[in-house]
Amino acid sequence: MKKIIFGFLVLLFFSGCGKNPELSADMLGGGKIFDPLTYQPEKYLLSVSKPTPTTIEAAKPVLIACHGYSASTFEWDEFRIWMDNRSDFYLSQVLLAGHGRTYEEFKASTWKDWQSSIADEYNKLVKAGYKKINFVASSTSCPLLLDMVNSGYFDNAPSTVNIMLIDPIIIPSDKTLSLVGIVGPMLGYIEADNTKEEDKYYYHYSPQETLQQLQNVLTTVRKELEHGITLSPKVSLKVYKSIQDPTADPVSAVLIYNGVKTSTGEKIDLQMVNSRLHVFTRLTLRPNVAETDWDNQTTAFEDIAARIKR
Amino acid sequence: MLRSALLSAIFLLVYCQLKAQNSVFDVGLRFQKSVNLYSENGISLNYSSRKLRPDRLFFGFTYVTSRLGSAYKSNAIKQDNYLLSSAWVFRQKHVWRPFVRGNLGYFSADYGDAVFDVLPRHSPIFSTELGLSFKASLPLKLSTSLGYNFITGDGVEGPGTLYPVFYQATLSWDIFSKNK
Repeated sequence: MKKIIFGFLVLLFFSGCGKNPELSADMLGGGKIFDPLTYQPEKYLLSVSKPTPTTIEAAKPVLIACHGYSASTFEWDEFRIWMDNRSDFYLSQVLLAGHGRTYEEFKASTWKDWQSSIADEYNKLVKAGYKKINFVASSTSCPLLLDMVNSGYFDNAPSTVNIMLIDPIIIPSDKTLSLVGIVGPMLGYIEADNTKEEDKYYYHYSPQETLQQLQNVLTTVRKELEHGITLSPKVSLKVYKSIQDPTADPVSAVLIYNGVKTSTGEKIDLQMVNSRLHVFTRLTLRPNVAETDWDNQTTAFEDIAARIKR
Repeated sequence: MLRSALLSAIFLLVYCQLKAQNSVFDVGLRFQKSVNLYSENGISLNYSSRKLRPDRLFFGFTYVTSRLGSAYKSNAIKQDNYLLSSAWVFRQKHVWRPFVRGNLGYFSADYGDAVFDVLPRHSPIFSTELGLSFKASLPLKLSTSLGYNFITGDGVEGPGTLYPVFYQATLSWDIFSKNK
């Protein structure tokens, strides 16, 4: 009996190992659809579209927008559309490494790779001479940025770096992620509950290897928050959090709020948003968007634009 | 004052009564850790009556808190777990004794600021444990187990720091034992 149970467990373990899902051509990751940044970077990255700014251009605020796990630049497209006729600041949309490409590239990426895409764009803009660089991050990009803040990455920034976190994740809503190290190899991957259209911009399948990476960055940043993060005088932080976020547990906001203090020991800015959405600023392709969701989005966009111009 | 004296008298009376029956009363420290979350430590009391499946059937009370674990001198969430349990011990005459335990209880988290009052902070607890205890000739007992919380929270329906899988070790002393 013991041998049978042991054999079953071994079989279950190895049946998941190396298992790849069947991807269709109309899905991101299937080898046909790629994030548009990969073939039109000048449309998304300021470091590509304006690598040598004039003095006046370099003095304008820049907002680097960073998307979440398994997402793509699409997540911040609505902000680009919203600011379309504004010329008082620049937007640069980052694509995290391993994202917006093939399933295999996603599977092979680590959270350090994801973070390096944010750092790369920031470094290129600093090197190009931009003076006022800011960030807006959603979901998993939030812990990636918090880790950079904790490491003192922005201590020598040319001016105050405003960081706005939209629906940050430190604690996942689905607690089975905490067991991904054990059950992940048995499953191989998990499937997202996307609509067919969303599948063009968000990976439908998440390889367990990347879920382990996600768990790793969440654990790392949670411990940094427990220890305490003091913002450099060069960094300002605001958190916006849906009170009924179904993906990134709302308690994540508690951990950030209690774990981060300003350089003068004050509490950071926090806004609990009356929403049922994860990344409440992305409404395109969502079913059943309410009027309050549009209001929340507009209010947040206006607030973000105002903060980077302070 | 009168209330304290009365409670002390009742406790003494119960204690003497239980001791007279030569039952088992393990009093110990419990060290618990949720997989990929907090360590929560506290106390554990487990009683087995001589008249009811002695040393086999245990009834217990446990209090573990992150205040004595991850939240001690840190920004981790302060949370408390109160458990009433019932356990069944196998091979009770042996040094190594497997056991199963069922827990019912109450979970409470303190988020520290009124802005978070909109989030759920309390939950019932319903969990089970499978474990192994080690007891030699001394009244000292070491029990370890792997537990599963049937009720967890997602931050909308229940508190988000109530995680599914935990493991624990309890070091206890049988205060009724004559073998001291």
